[in-house]
Amino acid sequence: MTYNEQTSPSSASAMQRAGIPVPGYIKRNHILGVFFFALTFLLLPQFDQYTTAIGFILVFAAVGGSLVLAFGAAGQFTLGHSIFLGAGAFLSANIANDSYGWGRGLEVEIPIALAVCFVLGLIVGLPSLRVNELYLALATFAIAYVGQQVLYEWKQFTAGGSGKSAGDLTLFGWEIGRGTPYIRLSLIIILVTFWIVGNILDGKTGRSMNALRTSETAARSVGINVAWLKILAFGISGAITGLAGVLYIHNLRYAGPENFNVHLSILLILTLIIGGRHRLAGAVVGAIFVKFLPELIRDVQEYEGIIYGGALIFLTLFSPRGIIGLIEAGLRSIGALLANTPVANILPNSASKEIEASSDGTPLESLSLAGLANSEKRGHLTVTDARVIFGGVRAVDGVSFEVEAGKVTGVIGSNGAGKTTLFNAITGHAKNAEGVFTLDGFELSNKPIFTRSLAGLGRTFQNLNLHGDIRVLDHALIGLEREMKYGRVSEAFRLPHVVRNERQAYERSAELLDHMQLLEFWNEKVDDLPYGLQKRVDVARGLATNPSVLLLDEPAAGLPTAEALEMMEHVIEYAEHIGCGVIVIEHNVELVADVCERVIVMDAGKILADGTAQSVMQNADVIAAYLGT
Amino acid sequence: MSQLTISDLKVGYKKNEVIHGLNIEVNSGERVALLGANGAGKSTVLKTISGLLTPSEGSIRFNGDDISGNSPADIVDRGIVHVPEGRRVFPALNVEDNLKVANYRKGPQSLAEGLESAYAAFPILEERKKQPAGLLSGGQQQMLSLARAIIAQPKFLLIDEMSLGLAPLLVKEFYQTLDSLFSSEISLLLVEQNAGMALAHCSRFYVIRNGDLVLQGNSEEYRDDPTRLQPAYLGQ
Amino acid sequence: MTEFIQLLWSGILNGMLYALIGLSLVLIFKTARILNFAAGTMAGFTGWFAWWWATKQGIPFLLAILVAIVMVAVATLLIERLTIRPLINENFLSIVTITLGLEFLIANLSINFFGGRAESLRIPGDIQFKNFEIGGVRFNWWHVVILISTFIILAIVGYIVNRTELGLAMRAFAEDKDAARLMGIKESTVSQWTWTLSVTVGGLAGILFAPVLFLQQDYMNIPFIKGFVAAILGGFTSLSGGVLGGLLLGELEAFAVKYAPRQMAAALPVIIVFFILLIRPRGLFTRAKAHERV
Repeated sequence: MTYNEQTSPSSASAMQRAGIPVPGYIKRNHILGVFFFALTFLLLPQFDQYTTAIGFILVFAAVGGSLVLAFGAAGQFTLGHSIFLGAGAFLSANIANDSYGWGRGLEVEIPIALAVCFVLGLIVGLPSLRVNELYLALATFAIAYVGQQVLYEWKQFTAGGSGKSAGDLTLFGWEIGRGTPYIRLSLIIILVTFWIVGNILDGKTGRSMNALRTSETAARSVGINVAWLKILAFGISGAITGLAGVLYIHNLRYAGPENFNVHLSILLILTLIIGGRHRLAGAVVGAIFVKFLPELIRDVQEYEGIIYGGALIFLTLFSPRGIIGLIEAGLRSIGALLANTPVANILPNSASKEIEASSDGTPLESLSLAGLANSEKRGHLTVTDARVIFGGVRAVDGVSFEVEAGKVTGVIGSNGAGKTTLFNAITGHAKNAEGVFTLDGFELSNKPIFTRSLAGLGRTFQNLNLHGDIRVLDHALIGLEREMKYGRVSEAFRLPHVVRNERQAYERSAELLDHMQLLEFWNEKVDDLPYGLQKRVDVARGLATNPSVLLLDEPAAGLPTAEALEMMEHVIEYAEHIGCGVIVIEHNVELVADVCERVIVMDAGKILADGTAQSVMQNADVIAAYLGT
Repeated sequence: MSQLTISDLKVGYKKNEVIHGLNIEVNSGERVALLGANGAGKSTVLKTISGLLTPSEGSIRFNGDDISGNSPADIVDRGIVHVPEGRRVFPALNVEDNLKVANYRKGPQSLAEGLESAYAAFPILEERKKQPAGLLSGGQQQMLSLARAIIAQPKFLLIDEMSLGLAPLLVKEFYQTLDSLFSSEISLLLVEQNAGMALAHCSRFYVIRNGDLVLQGNSEEYRDDPTRLQPAYLGQ
Repeated sequence: MTEFIQLLWSGILNGMLYALIGLSLVLIFKTARILNFAAGTMAGFTGWFAWWWATKQGIPFLLAILVAIVMVAVATLLIERLTIRPLINENFLSIVTITLGLEFLIANLSINFFGGRAESLRIPGDIQFKNFEIGGVRFNWWHVVILISTFIILAIVGYIVNRTELGLAMRAFAEDKDAARLMGIKESTVSQWTWTLSVTVGGLAGILFAPVLFLQQDYMNIPFIKGFVAAILGGFTSLSGGVLGGLLLGELEAFAVKYAPRQMAAALPVIIVFFILLIRPRGLFTRAKAHERV
């Protein structure tokens, strides 16, 4: 697949017609961020008495930012981050006292804190592979507790109960004064950190993390290595929190094990729950709330817990997206009110725009999608003696068949016949499946789900498994992750080839959505869409992975036949374009007869009939099976 | 006289409509079958009647009262008892406790009598009354499920896929005992995939496909050859 | 030998504490599938509250306990109705967040209302200071009271859960929510009584162990962590398992403190949890979500 940098001058591309912003280097948020940064930077000397508090806000904001990645994006609810803060803080103290002979100064402290805490994060992230959600919260809660004990006992590292004091603050030999100079330095560090986290969130890593948060099953099926990504989320956020720990000890001038307890961990994640966990701005807002509020209301400081607790409860009941969510909702309402004024363009607006239909040619001939055209047919799938047994039930009982490259095959049968289970055996979603499966010569059996996907296996799901609060466009982008040729480090710094790859992916996604008649909904969250559209998004996501064979599981279920037929036409057209085969499970026999050259009928885990649609529908056994007689 | 009247029923999950406007009627003491392929929406209809789901549009009237959207507890109190698909016994609770739960809305005074009727109908349940229900065989669990319905003193029964996962001979037996278990005054709305069985037992039927009502009629027209229902099921 | 029995006894004592907290956590987890992060704080608050009535206000001891428990139970009913019930169909995160919020709120309320200093709960006859000996082994009278009380509490909870209609409803609901609703069981009923029962058990533990742990800020927080370990050890959805887990943990700790290096002893319970969660989550939990249904 080659990328052609020229765009056709005559027809507007799908991206342009839909008004999709082109990925670039600077976003509106960047400008806002720099604006506030500059403001704070300049006004700092006026708030001299608050410098320590502001220092803490920055620490919490940094940790919050790292959690936007681990928790907001990747969905890992962790109550264990206090140990990274502690590790970073004590590393800094020990380095400053020259305990390791590596040199001194921030230029040494920061990289070491980042590296050590990254590795620590990878380790701490291990439980996330085994347990989800609540159990992960418990495991990390336990880690925080053990971590604190370790800090107490490891006298060499932390001097036990007495703690350690921070060393002098130097950067490349320059001494940095306490107070305003130090806070300004912190500001710069935080700004850079936020820029990096923002780049990760905007790139394939951020999208994949959001995908695994909203549907692990689906994420695997589009080739995302969920296990590695989860651990990576811990690693990155641990590293950033370690960095925050360095800032912490220099701010407080001292750190003791008692500072890094479970309570702190809870406070860290609460920062994000209060502020809003899906936006970096939420980290800042939450940090201000958590750390600045008591400063402002000194007389009610004794009621701190009541205020936090109350705010938390209030927000959870009325605004699950935190304070930022409240603000955004407010802005959207204002945006709707001012929809027809010039001001409208600045504010977020959720009304979808009317898209002009493409006037000439089909999207498939557009430059970006043309690059995917493949005259060579792929998708030669063999299934040999597939068996799946659970709970004593033989869901799939010795099924063997072969599908040639590029063909459209239907699989029908009454429920419980084993059709979806067969798909699950092929894609790897059925853990205890037996049998041999190959795709274009590559053996799929016993490989993890994401490996099979990367080998060319695409699928959709009976219950959709869409990524609830994520936009339609991103569903296509998620499918395209494997095409994006850039590494995660490059992504962190948003290097030029990252932006190029992103642009190409966006264009391809837009064209694909256009082909599936989803373009006008590109910016909608899938949860807000009606069922029919959601089904199409599921299919689009599967197609985006550029599969060799696409397994469709009841794509027409719940749709009126006409709509389903139209969708299938588009699917098959696209499949022909890229040379992939299609296998579709359906109950809608009319659809199957119309679209499939070959139909396999399953019953009670076995193949009952296999032939053309006509012959199969007239088979007496098939008719009996369907009516249960 | 119509006991249960469903008018223009629409049911959806979030933004998806699964049932697109159904009209169904069951008269007092009548036995009506709800047929269709899987995924057609039959269970959804029963769940909406029993209160597990709420309709988005339309109404369900029972003996003249509008019960759409009422809580399952209220619906049980009115005498509508739902025997769910897949038996749904409480696996860790023993057999007797499973039966006791069915008596939850009736008050302690009816428990003794209820247990007696249940054990009389299915002696094997009495034998195993202290065993966890999860250890029973599929057939025995179905017995337990029906026994729970007996205890609930139904005026109107909703039975969902009684034949699922059971050997054909056993299914035949169950259908035969249905008559002896429940008096003919009790109305029945029966969901079944096995058209033959259902038609043999019910006087009228409805066929649902993809959430729409596609056919209704009297069972005797189709009893001798249920395969004639195939076009309705499969949509050709 | 006497040393052994002494260790055994102290293990049982702590075990009772963990068993009660474990029980209170499993009660909620079984029916609502969440962990009440405020359990420790609520238990501590109840202990403080009993102190306030008994020692500060000078009300007769047993009456003070009764008043404290009843008022806390009523407050729980209110809290459940206002903050938990509205979120009953949301994902676990919302309710867990509420419990975290409650933790902050109640801990702070506790400090403000009862003063931040350590206090001691005065018991009639000052029996927490009276010991007696049997065969060379020292026992404390209050510890005996704890033992007897715990048995009574466990017996009562056992009775409620296994022999009453409410308990039957709770057990059925924990097994299969929809099937239970079809029997006429109301989610709201199960939720409010489960929370009330759970918090009451925790509160009693807070009161019983106030003389042992001494009334200080957050004195029930570490027991909460240990109680949760107990619940995991015993199998999180089994009530008796939670209790046995607590006893087991108590004994493990007693012997570890004596024989294991100091660093290990303190973190031991949590290390156990970490490895159990890592190695065999499915062995202990009935619903480890390792993957979704496709």
